[in-house]
Amino acid sequence: MNIIVCVKQIPDPETPSSSFKVDEAAKKVIPAQGIAPVVNPFDPQATEAALRLNEADGGGKVTVISLGAESARDAIKHALAMGADEGVLLNDPSFDGIDNFQTAVALAKAIQKVGEFDLILMGRSAADWDMGVVPSGVGQLLGVPVVSVAKAIEKNGGSVKVERVLDDGFQTVEAPLPAIVSVSNEFGEPRYPQLRQIMLAAKKTVQIWSAADIGLGAEETGAANRWLPLEALYVPKVESNVEIIEGDSPEEKARNLAQKLRAAKLI
Amino acid sequence: MDFEPTEGQRQLRLQARALAARFDDAYWRQCDAGHTFPWDFYQAFAEAGWLGIAIPPEHGGAGLGITEASILLEEVAASGAAMNGATALHLTIFGLNPVVRHGSDDLKRRVLPEAAAGRLHVAFGVTEPTAGSDTPSITTFAHRDGDNFRIRGQKVWTSKAKESSKVLLLARTTPLADSPRRTEGMTLFLANLDPNHVTIREIDKLGRHAVDSNEVFYDDLPVEARDVVGEVGRGFYHLLDGLNPERILIAAEALGTGRAALRKAVAYAKERVVFGRPIGQNQGIQFPLADSYAKLQTVELLIRKAGWLYDNGQPCGAEANMAKYLAAEWGFEAADRALQVHGGFGYAREFDVERYWREVRVMKIAPITQEMILNYLGQHELGLPRSY
Ligand SMILES: Cc1cc2nc3c(=O)[nH]c(=O)nc-3n(C[C@H](O)[C@H](O)[C@H](O)COP(=O)(O)OP(=O)(O)OC[C@H]3O[C@@H](n4cnc5c(N)ncnc54)[C@H](O)[C@@H]3O)c2cc1C
Ligand SMILES: Cc1cc2nc3c(=O)[nH]c(=O)nc-3n(C[C@H](O)[C@H](O)[C@H](O)COP(=O)(O)OP(=O)(O)OC[C@H]3O[C@@H](n4cnc5c(N)ncnc54)[C@H](O)[C@@H]3O)c2cc1C
Repeated sequence: MNIIVCVKQIPDPETPSSSFKVDEAAKKVIPAQGIAPVVNPFDPQATEAALRLNEADGGGKVTVISLGAESARDAIKHALAMGADEGVLLNDPSFDGIDNFQTAVALAKAIQKVGEFDLILMGRSAADWDMGVVPSGVGQLLGVPVVSVAKAIEKNGGSVKVERVLDDGFQTVEAPLPAIVSVSNEFGEPRYPQLRQIMLAAKKTVQIWSAADIGLGAEETGAANRWLPLEALYVPKVESNVEIIEGDSPEEKARNLAQKLRAAKLI
Repeated sequence: MDFEPTEGQRQLRLQARALAARFDDAYWRQCDAGHTFPWDFYQAFAEAGWLGIAIPPEHGGAGLGITEASILLEEVAASGAAMNGATALHLTIFGLNPVVRHGSDDLKRRVLPEAAAGRLHVAFGVTEPTAGSDTPSITTFAHRDGDNFRIRGQKVWTSKAKESSKVLLLARTTPLADSPRRTEGMTLFLANLDPNHVTIREIDKLGRHAVDSNEVFYDDLPVEARDVVGEVGRGFYHLLDGLNPERILIAAEALGTGRAALRKAVAYAKERVVFGRPIGQNQGIQFPLADSYAKLQTVELLIRKAGWLYDNGQPCGAEANMAKYLAAEWGFEAADRALQVHGGFGYAREFDVERYWREVRVMKIAPITQEMILNYLGQHELGLPRSY
């Protein structure tokens, strides 16, 4: 199959809270000093799914697309090191500060420019804003079915059979190809790149497409044209206080604790 | 002059960091406390092909240079794996250098692909109770037995001997008194650690507990002639070739451990509030950390230069030695400062800096002491009279 995988580079979710800062006036996250951005943790799982599907199919091509800063090339290189074939970086000054809907528009245009595809895979959400709307947005724009939060994907002739994760179990659905599937962490560990593949991937060139290259009009991009205007961005103040639960026996302490939690409507 | 790493070196650093990050401080604390070899960690790196980083492609490796290997080991150490992690890997990475450079084709074919795949563990047996810095004084002796040899003697500090099936063993084949020069008459063997002829006794030591170091007794251990590395009588010279890359890699590990300590110290100095302000706001805390930062950045440059010289076939003795010397000094200093910044908690196991501190301390002693490096620099770089 021709599979397109969308990957995103995000600030490291392991950043200690003391290093996480936002510029409230500019409504932007300030990159943490000395902490490099990482690939969104769900995205290598999408890449893994693509590689496994093509391995099972005995061939195919995996193209990786990322929209982001110059540094997002590393997120693409990660997928190439895992075994993907080609990479495209969507990079343009006007992409700075755009929202998820604008991202979906840009990705849909880039996917159309790539041309042939049987399947598009993405992570279930990006661990920075955690909204998970880009797969549906791209599906709407391209007019193809979207199956979200997959834990297993199987090709079945001209369709894909997908196990979706639900709160209380899972659901199996089938969608005709081409389709979009977003992949969840339940899919399982992605492979770690082999040293030789890392060195080969380092030598591959990643194509860079600007807004104009994918035919994106000025009115469709730029922070000023967000669909979802950002009103305010701040780090919530977390206050904590410690209370020692008294009691003569462990049982009594447990009872007192349970009562406190119930009074606080926590259980 | 080009200070830019290649795209390959950059990607390799990111990937080594990502893989090492799978094994967190809690993992290493547990390996260290339990004196257990970090098998999961070792397997992860073996499976992804990292162990053969410096082994030629025709023998199953990736054929990269010491520069790339130094980046790998720096990142492993900097992840918090420190010396427990680095030592678990580095014996395969540079221990086999004499085999790569001087081994027969038959020996290379038998040994290198297995080592690159992580299935064969080889320890390094040079130091003896009465011969550490003064290697030519070793007394372990390989007697001729027809075409083959039998080895008798005692080694000390042989790391990872308990996990290894083979040892790169230096023994005399001509007694010191009969050798034309002190550095002649020694032979390097790739011997089997055959329990019928070898007794291994673990040494209780300060740190790096996940990887054992041992006293090893050899009781007429048979070694076939085909397991001689290079030429009989030239073993010391074959070892010498591997010393510069070893020093560069050790320096990178000390740098990485120093960086792990500094990272913890900086995070703690931002968070810990004493006398109503984060302790990092006091110059008494801030300046030593800034000073260590500058030193670690500096020693990285020296490591890169030494690696570049080696990979380009140029002499690098002075640079490799200076890199090891300064990385050990400044890496330990950074760890000591990190411990201090943590106050009482620095002394507690769960904050990890005491583990880094214990582990980076060994770099001032092994594989060569700081004093012997100063001897080298004094004599060979400054032209001062030999002092010993
Ligand atoms: C954790 C650990 C792991 C090790 N792993 C291995 C291993 O796997 N394989 C192996 O073969 N060895 C190993 N070693 C041994 C290590 O290489 C030696 O400890 C080191 O070479 C120093 O030798 P020594 O201990 O005999 O010290 P000595 O040579 O006895 O030196 C003692 C002190 O005297 C100083 N000194 C000696 N001569 C001079 C001089 N001329 N001028 C000034 N000062 C001098 C030294 O610098 C040192 O401070 C390991 C050691 C440790 C601690
Ligand atoms: C083995 C051990 C046994 C102990 N036993 C006891 C005991 O029996 N009873 C007991 O009560 N306590 C005990 N302690 C606690 C010990 O007294 C404290 O650890 C010590 O007072 C330091 O306090 P702290 O750990 O909170 O460090 P912090 O006060 O958090 O200091 C952290 C770092 O910041 C520095 N710092 C703080 N403020 C400033 C400033 N204004 N300017 C410059 N630098 C600053 C400190 O010097 C230190 O380097 C013990 C500690 C240990 C490790």
